[in-house]
Amino acid sequence: MYLKQLLAAALAAAGLAAPAAAAEGTRVQITGEIIDTWCYFSGVMGGTDAVVGSAHHTCALWCSAGGIPVGLLGDDGEVYMVLKIEGDDQSASGDTQMTLASHEIVADGMLYERDGLNYLVVEKVVEDRGITNLNHEDYGVVPPFAIPKPKK
Amino acid sequence: MKRLIATLALLATPLSAQDFSEGSNAREWNLYAESPATFEATVVDLLCTVAGDCANECGDGRQLGLLRSVDDVLVYPNKNSQTSFNGAAYDLHPYCGKLVDVDGLLIEDEDIPGATNIYLVQTIKEAGAADWAKANQWTKVWAKKHPDAKGKGPWFRRDPRVLSFIEADGYLGQGLSPEEAYEITQ
Repeated sequence: MYLKQLLAAALAAAGLAAPAAAAEGTRVQITGEIIDTWCYFSGVMGGTDAVVGSAHHTCALWCSAGGIPVGLLGDDGEVYMVLKIEGDDQSASGDTQMTLASHEIVADGMLYERDGLNYLVVEKVVEDRGITNLNHEDYGVVPPFAIPKPKK
Repeated sequence: MKRLIATLALLATPLSAQDFSEGSNAREWNLYAESPATFEATVVDLLCTVAGDCANECGDGRQLGLLRSVDDVLVYPNKNSQTSFNGAAYDLHPYCGKLVDVDGLLIEDEDIPGATNIYLVQTIKEAGAADWAKANQWTKVWAKKHPDAKGKGPWFRRDPRVLSFIEADGYLGQGLSPEEAYEITQ
């Protein structure tokens, strides 16, 4: 017990021991594309320009269905990790987020920031513009095996 | 006492320079910004912890986070150990609310906004337990949920929802047939 108290005091003194209470959010309206965050952050399939848009649409569907977190890549270049969309809290493989894969949307909601990450609760999709980034014209399909070779 | 000493040492270290690689047995993926990282954390419901939306805390289908014990940093596990487009929620769900040890790869890429405290979890165990479990449950859970989707090939070629979207809008989301989409991307 003494050690726990000592540790807590040390953390508190360093300003690091804030309880895990939720922060107050900020209302925002963000325009951007619903993306697959793992491919975007990790670089596993190439640069960030190639793992968005139509080139990466099939992979975005796979990742969204597979429970990889989706994010909203804002026009400001920031990624907003989406935790809920219009009341649907199924952020791991949910239906709502799949319908928006690769789509450019205007989202109205609450922004929370913690430890370098932006978290977004989308209260309303104000506008769904569909897939507007037609980058398959530059990158083909990413990954290349996403579209099977047609059988003759 | 060891943890206390480690904590005090960390307090003297800039956050961006913290190293959690000691004791890690994580397998490399050769990602540009990966580092092996093992640490103790509490598995938390992200929507509850971040936004205070706790009505369905730890419910199925919600993303889970790792609240690191040593510095109270919230780490986002984007990925499990499998290589077929799988997140980590199914692997973490049994541990929600519990103190665990995890081992995996931490992504910290200064060149990509937001690429910080992103994690690929490879193994997990309750804190203090002896045996590690591989974070590879996703495809097993998927197979139980989709008994009618049995067949050859990986799950993502057989997933009913994925197939329905591709059927409706094509591989590029542009309404092209598979043949057309294949042709214009070669």
